[in-house]
Amino acid sequence: MPHTIDTSTDPQVGYRPPGSLDAASALQPYDGRFGPRQAAHLLRRAGFGGSADDVARLASLQTRDAVDTLLHPTAPDLDFPAYPAADVLYDPKRARAAVQSAWLDRMLRSNRPLVEKMALFWHGHFATAIGKVPPQYMAAQINLFRAQGLGRFPALLGAVTRDPAMLIWLDNRYNAKAHPNENYAREVMELFALGLGNYTEDDVQESARAFTGWTIDKNGRAAFVPARHDDGSKTFLGTSGPFGTGDVIAIIVSQPVHQRFIVRKLLEFFVYSDPEPELVEATAQVYALSGFDIAKTVGTILRSNVFYSTRAYRALPKSPIEFAIGTLRYLGVSAVPPNLVYQLARMGQEPLNPPSVKGWDGGPAWINTSTLLARFNFVNGLVAQTAPGKNGQPAIAAPNANPDTLIGRVGMNAAKVAAALVSGAVQDDVTSDVRATLVGYLNNVTPTAAMTNPLPFGPENYQDKIRGALALTLNLPVNQLD
Amino acid sequence: MKRRSFVTSALSVAFLGGNASVALAQVARGTAPLPSFGTTGDPEGVLVVIQMGGGNDGLNTVVPYADDNYHRYRPGIALAPEQVLKLDDRIGFNPALKGLDELYKQGKVAVVQGVGYPNPNRSHFEATQIWETASPDRPQQYGWLGRYLDRRYPTGSKTPSLFEAVSLGDALPAALVASHVEVPAIGALGAFGYNAGRDLAVKQSAGVLYDGAKAGQSPYLAMIAQTARDAYHGGDVLRAQTAAFTNQATYPANGFAQQLALAAKLIGSSAGSKIVFVSIGSFDTHAGQRAQQDRLLGYMGDGLLAFYADLAAHGLDRKVMTMTFSEFGRRVAQNASNGTDHGTAMPLFVIGGGVKGGIYGDHPSLTDLDHGDLKFSTDFRSVYATVIERWLGRDPGPVLGAAYPSLAFV
Repeated sequence: MPHTIDTSTDPQVGYRPPGSLDAASALQPYDGRFGPRQAAHLLRRAGFGGSADDVARLASLQTRDAVDTLLHPTAPDLDFPAYPAADVLYDPKRARAAVQSAWLDRMLRSNRPLVEKMALFWHGHFATAIGKVPPQYMAAQINLFRAQGLGRFPALLGAVTRDPAMLIWLDNRYNAKAHPNENYAREVMELFALGLGNYTEDDVQESARAFTGWTIDKNGRAAFVPARHDDGSKTFLGTSGPFGTGDVIAIIVSQPVHQRFIVRKLLEFFVYSDPEPELVEATAQVYALSGFDIAKTVGTILRSNVFYSTRAYRALPKSPIEFAIGTLRYLGVSAVPPNLVYQLARMGQEPLNPPSVKGWDGGPAWINTSTLLARFNFVNGLVAQTAPGKNGQPAIAAPNANPDTLIGRVGMNAAKVAAALVSGAVQDDVTSDVRATLVGYLNNVTPTAAMTNPLPFGPENYQDKIRGALALTLNLPVNQLD
Repeated sequence: MKRRSFVTSALSVAFLGGNASVALAQVARGTAPLPSFGTTGDPEGVLVVIQMGGGNDGLNTVVPYADDNYHRYRPGIALAPEQVLKLDDRIGFNPALKGLDELYKQGKVAVVQGVGYPNPNRSHFEATQIWETASPDRPQQYGWLGRYLDRRYPTGSKTPSLFEAVSLGDALPAALVASHVEVPAIGALGAFGYNAGRDLAVKQSAGVLYDGAKAGQSPYLAMIAQTARDAYHGGDVLRAQTAAFTNQATYPANGFAQQLALAAKLIGSSAGSKIVFVSIGSFDTHAGQRAQQDRLLGYMGDGLLAFYADLAAHGLDRKVMTMTFSEFGRRVAQNASNGTDHGTAMPLFVIGGGVKGGIYGDHPSLTDLDHGDLKFSTDFRSVYATVIERWLGRDPGPVLGAAYPSLAFV
């Protein structure tokens, strides 16, 4: 069975070699075992992971129903404000951090994680940065991605064209008949909708004329000023007419190159980093037939054989945001730590501040010595803070990191503690020597050099040792992979 | 990718027991490559880049004190002729730059006048991107130094040191973003390392886990495990490599000068850094400019004086070139709050024992202005091209995408 996770041999799951995709069945609904591994995989990709209980709850469902809980959530979300309070939002000293933290808070606590995950996807796709764009507009843009990120792509691209943050970011507010500015049109072609090589310089210039007229009014809202719009005839991708924004978008989405371009990015985000041309083609057909419906396309992907294939499993390096929010969700932390934005910047992904209009490189580029140290030290610091400080600092509430709860469940037994940690945190995706090292750590027998606490695992030291083993588990290389 | 054999060999010795840091230091000394800049005639110098963030006002840095227009445009913030450190009968340094002036008198400072580029951008964000990616017309993914490193060390070839190029600070500047060469960002020596708090056993067990991490069949797991090993041991290696280097100058007690002290350690020790990026911020002097800019220029001049005294004591002052840049200069006329707003061209400094000191280019005219802004006379990419070709010893064309005339400061 090429599309199931092989748990019969080494739990370090085997990967299907590239090139053996069964294109006919790749997007068919998966009907194999849907256990904790598959549920955790779905929760990581279509959300930000979760606690062991979250995984168990999802694993009790059928694949289709599990996907539906993420794709079509029925319960209302928590009551998140659309914007930070006005006194903060317009305070240049506080607004940036407040808008960044508010979004991280939603990623952490929302019961609609796929909505936030799609917002993160579109933030990387339509990469806009707070360095040039004032915070209130950045907040509005993320609200837009949240509202329309699972809608139809033409409507989304139209809304992005009218989005004040984007009008500022790529200067389309200055794009007028008298002095065209091609910045936005060029990126729509190259980065947002078609990809390099699928248009000409003439197409950039002609579509820039079609995108004229948008500006920002004195209330900070997008406004269309007909006098600034060039209503003459344009020739764009082989057709001619007095095109405006909607016409250009309609022409773009009708192009097979666009359909392949956009579904390739979805496949790279949700499945694996180098999707086969046949898989791209098959997904592009789903996308086109659905009327460019992102939810239907993503739903097909999340239910498919290829999504649950061994090749997709643990196949993507986690982004820093996925890693950090996933860690907090796993531990049951219910508030974003105050320095998380700073720590994410050290890990290489400050939210709302992508390095360029191309977004973050992602994939293996997330991982280097500096960024990995930042991840390790984030986990170590966070887990340490789940215990009260030596000088009486209050602990961060993290119910799933509570050593007493774990001992109550498995007993005062190092081997069972280690087994519970690798099962809960990484779904047993480790080799036996990792378990042995953790048991050795718990019993203070593993390393040879000086011990801070030489006692074997027991009532005197289980709290510190469990926290230490938890940090070691969360910092395993395999936990850097989604 | 990014495998580094010295780290792997270091750890296999270190965990045989005994004093790990001594073992690491020995291994690091034995296996890490020594800096190659000792060779006579080797064109490959060490480059330190100083970013003056915020847009430094050039006219109050290299002051046209003899020009009446200067005093007319800036009644509240102009420096009087008797205050400046005169370079010739027309221009002089801001007196806060007395440290730099001393280096200038030693013949170690080139002042490149009127540096800029066509259609200047006045956004901090975009202008910084332009300078750091050397690309005014189009955003670029990789920085100018990143592109140099990528070409210098093509995919599959290792850099001689894990710390070949480093950024001193918490984030990696756009200039050093590379496609495959890894550039660590080091805030401080102490912060670059695996921090497990007080539980030594956690740190030791982490080392066991990373050293023993199986590659598995995931395409990325092997890379992550290798990077985890490098990251885990890198801080120890760095501390061991730099331990033998003692700064031989007293650096001022500010963050910028302390970055330069660390830069000297990285360059002069077996860490062997060849490119070091340092930054000093807050030059965005829209109001009350004099006090703020003078303080920052003082940090710069005094810090550089200590840096070159330190390097000279180690016999390295001819091997290390330092260049400054800022995303833009400021407008010629001051504003109503004794500050200046975002402008265009500015002078930059190139410093070092291997630099031909002097003034390069004319001071920009204060009468022939472009809507109140200085006109540039030297494209900043000419400075980059000169550095790459004559100091780093490589062809600048592929890095910069076009040919720019070289300058004579080296």
